[in-house]
Amino acid sequence: MPPIIETVNLTKIFGNRLIAVNNMNLQVEEGATYGLLGPNGAGKTTLIRLLLGLIKPTAGEVRVFGKGMTINSADLRQRIGYLPTNPKFPPRMTPITYLDFIGRLFNMGRDEWMNRLSKLLRAVDLLPSASREIKGFSTGMVTRLGLAASLMNDPDLLILDEPTSGLDPAGRKSTLDLLEEIGKKKTILISSHILSDIDRICNYVGIINEGKVISSGSIKDMKKLIKNNVVRLEIEGDLEPLCTRLRSIEGITSVDEKEDFILDIALDDKAPSTQIVREIVDLVSDSGLDLISINSSTSRIEDAFLKLTKEEESTGFLRAVKS
Amino acid sequence: MQADLMGLLKSKITYGWLIAAVFLEIIARPPFGTTSLVLAQGLSYLFYIWSMLIIGIAASAVASESGEFADSLMSKPIRRYDYILAKFSSRTCYVMIVYLLIIAVLVPLSLRAALNDYEVYGLIASISLVALTLVMLTSLGVTLSTLFPNVVVPIVILLILWYAMTFFFPLLDPSLNLLSPSYLVSQLPSIAQGVYTGEEWKTVASFAAITIASAALATVYFSEKDL
Repeated sequence: MPPIIETVNLTKIFGNRLIAVNNMNLQVEEGATYGLLGPNGAGKTTLIRLLLGLIKPTAGEVRVFGKGMTINSADLRQRIGYLPTNPKFPPRMTPITYLDFIGRLFNMGRDEWMNRLSKLLRAVDLLPSASREIKGFSTGMVTRLGLAASLMNDPDLLILDEPTSGLDPAGRKSTLDLLEEIGKKKTILISSHILSDIDRICNYVGIINEGKVISSGSIKDMKKLIKNNVVRLEIEGDLEPLCTRLRSIEGITSVDEKEDFILDIALDDKAPSTQIVREIVDLVSDSGLDLISINSSTSRIEDAFLKLTKEEESTGFLRAVKS
Repeated sequence: MQADLMGLLKSKITYGWLIAAVFLEIIARPPFGTTSLVLAQGLSYLFYIWSMLIIGIAASAVASESGEFADSLMSKPIRRYDYILAKFSSRTCYVMIVYLLIIAVLVPLSLRAALNDYEVYGLIASISLVALTLVMLTSLGVTLSTLFPNVVVPIVILLILWYAMTFFFPLLDPSLNLLSPSYLVSQLPSIAQGVYTGEEWKTVASFAAITIASAALATVYFSEKDL
């Protein structure tokens, strides 16, 4: 079975000046929730616009559902749902009239869209505001409406560009919950620079920087790649004596004090981590300090991202020469 | 097309335009004019005053939707030419609906003039000629709107072009009269009386050619351009 999304040597150059996407090869398999990570200006949105046929590639090819995507590939877009960053809607329309409009664009039958419309408005929690004009909506409501619109055609592929951008914590959580649920049945491509969102809902991730995919694979593989074995403690009290004692434990390679209550303790990869963690907890208990929290996974995907982008920057020239 | 047209018709601009136009037709009509003069004067407001509104509405058709809104829309199963032809149709229909509403007031007003000097076919011809000119203006506006992503640029270009056609073309070369709305206005009383110069077909052909050519250019260009 061909991948749902495939780019082959995809390149986009704007006005002979800006290389937004640089010889990119990417594959997204059916059923994956694929996170596209990258700093601002990395080329994420340009890649998405190429995947949707909104802009033409300068070179290379975009294949979606096994077929070449072009500006006029309406048949392929019939099967895609898309949520842009900060979606804009006609301000005088209501969620009902807008979704009605979208249903018509997809040539849906009246019964089908009526049924879907009410389900979606309920799912994105917009039922109480269904008859209000969009112009008075908050950012969160607009994003949720955009999400409903992107699901109107019951798409096989959902493409979301920064879906949690501008949302408050509650809105962000409900959006991620919804996406997690949708991800069980659909193929999703999510672009974001909020790493914890990707970590939470995606099972595959691609890191792009300066228009190139610098790493692509499962989240598990990504985490293995940057296995650091860092334990983070948040502690109330005087940390200095504790740090000294921690450094004496065999298997601990470094102890970094961050702010006045956070300790990042790096463990040797080959050392027995379970035993060392037990020793650390015992030591904190003996010191009479108040342990606020302990975790070993915070920022793991962030570390992967930073490590890979840093490596890419330092080896980019060499690779370019070799290729 | 339907959504765009309904959005325009429900806008405050439409109500404002209609109220102002009807008010102007009523208060500014010549008290002792003939039917052809009242009609010609009423129609001239469309060229000299309301053309600015038409330019604004036509030239913002595509440019005002660039960015996220265009992305949202064009990511749906729409072909580029579907979109651009819908824009042409909706803006042209809108201008024609407003025009016909103004005509519905203007014609009875002109028929109540002191002297009825009109000829039925002449009356229809003059109204149709003005309609064709407005369609051409709308078409040029939508075309320019596809060429520039910024709304202001097509509006300024079209304002300059339109008023140059209206006021400066006749001064440059008498043969350019055919393309001048002000020359057309000066001919309207005669046309309404059923008196033709025999050159009217050239104006019709020129305006129709400009309309078709600009619509074709916009469709071809928009079907290939990056959003």
